Amino acid sequence: MSLATFAQALVAGAVNGCFYALLASSFGLILGISRALNLAHGEFVVLGAYVGYGLWALTGLDPLLFLPFAAIALLPLGLLWARMLAGLREPVELQSLVLTFGLSLLLQNLMLGFFRADYRLLIAPALERSVALGPVHVHWGRILLAGISLAALLSLHLFLTRTRPGRAILATSLNREAAALMGINVDRMTSLTFLMAAGLAGAAGLLFATVHYVHPAAGMELTLLAIILVLLGGVGRLLGLLLGGLALGLTEALTVALTAPRWRELVVALFLLGALLARPRGLIPGRSQ
Amino acid sequence: MIPTAALILFALALPPVIAFHPYYLYLFGTAFLWASVASAWNLLETAGQISFGHAAFFGAGAYASSLVALRTNLSPQLALLLGALVGGVTAVPLGLASHVLRSASLALATFAYAEALRVIARNWDGLTGGGAGLIGIPPVDSAGGRAEGYYLSLLLLVTALAVGRAVERSRLGLAFAAIREREDRAQALGLAPTPVKLTAFVLSGGLTGLGGALYAHTVGSIQPDLVFGPSFSLLPLIMATFGGIRAPLGPTLGALVLHLTSQLVLHPLLPRLHQLPYALALIAVALALPKGLVGLFMTRRRPA
Repeated sequence: MSLATFAQALVAGAVNGCFYALLASSFGLILGISRALNLAHGEFVVLGAYVGYGLWALTGLDPLLFLPFAAIALLPLGLLWARMLAGLREPVELQSLVLTFGLSLLLQNLMLGFFRADYRLLIAPALERSVALGPVHVHWGRILLAGISLAALLSLHLFLTRTRPGRAILATSLNREAAALMGINVDRMTSLTFLMAAGLAGAAGLLFATVHYVHPAAGMELTLLAIILVLLGGVGRLLGLLLGGLALGLTEALTVALTAPRWRELVVALFLLGALLARPRGLIPGRSQ
Repeated sequence: MIPTAALILFALALPPVIAFHPYYLYLFGTAFLWASVASAWNLLETAGQISFGHAAFFGAGAYASSLVALRTNLSPQLALLLGALVGGVTAVPLGLASHVLRSASLALATFAYAEALRVIARNWDGLTGGGAGLIGIPPVDSAGGRAEGYYLSLLLLVTALAVGRAVERSRLGLAFAAIREREDRAQALGLAPTPVKLTAFVLSGGLTGLGGALYAHTVGSIQPDLVFGPSFSLLPLIMATFGGIRAPLGPTLGALVLHLTSQLVLHPLLPRLHQLPYALALIAVALALPKGLVGLFMTRRRPA
């Protein structure tokens, strides 16, 4: 492998890693506030992608203009999920897997019914422009993908640590009872968190569709990626998510560069197994199952 | 109980004799096959272990049996037994992993395990035929009919139910229940959980592998994305929980209702949505029907 190929793989992996961190941050918000693992999270992202794709195909404008629309379109699902996941029996983690697996299958089937199984990609000439960074050529779209992901992560971090509602969300995630006793309206914070998570997932979907082909069954892998990062990085630790995302993205890219693209999915499955075995106590440390 | 069971079995043995259309023999045969896999999934659940990756055992059994039948002169009937063996062996790593992984973490691990096997099966072209899978798998029916496959599926279902019942009535069944209800307490009372859970995994994996093998010889072709795929992991979970996990015949009921609804009603009418009943059933179980269909027939005891 030449040095240029190697560098190219590193850049591609790092770009994907930033996006994975964005993906995992919204998954982690839901997990933190409700202890629910949302296996339909990937479908949220794919739905956001279809919203963006639909608006772009309709108007022909710059796809990135539709980022807010992709986010807003997902908000009702966020509220619906908040209601459904609030009524789960114990153990919540396991029951949430069962419920959201059903919801994921439902969304997949509905998308298959509405959009058919075709592969779709958002193409804009502006995003296709290539930028040379030394020996590496990167599409402008990929640079934007990484940049927007990082900006969103940073904003989320500042929101969660520097603003009153953000800190209330963190407090509710850490200890619901104590937060309620401190006068935080925990139900409202839960709804807010689900809204934010759904919106972030929808916007991430539009970004995803500018770089990767989207089809109704694309969500499951995105969900697995989010679970891996949350296991590796920890819920609500955005720097941890970013490092985990980079580790996964780079491993994937190097595996593809060294072997063949078809082995990439094995990296994801093995990362998930490894992350689970590395964190046998579960996804939320400090809490009993 | 015994006369009723004998009567039901007698009735179920009739269709091939009275010359049912082969399609219906195939349809009911695959329904029994899924009922056995759902019962096998449930056997593991009685030990408190929820699997999201039964396609791992199903696919391993399907590939093992098909490859042996295709490459040697072994009869499909004997190859099926090899499928059971390989299914059981495939379950060993997960049984060992249950030593450290509990509940949702174990469920995710079973899912990841099936995914890993799917990718390997798809890419190991030399052995597995790659993404296109295997075709021309020798059928269990020599004469081109469907009768033998139907009877073998029925036999598999009876076997799965008998194994479940035998386990339930043995010391092993007590150990399963103890671990399911309170693993830490069972351990404190001197029960070693890991060997018990490993046994549950191997039994369930073996029966599921047998189901996968019979599936391969019934359908005649297998693809890695299907037999190792997420939807085949989900089916037994959905069927068992939808039917009812605490009743011996619950998984069978769930499998028959869902499989027949999907194949007889939705496949002809809305072919692209034929998985819809499974999704709705799972959502219903999680939100409103914790005891499954069986729970609807039980007398409701409401706290005063």
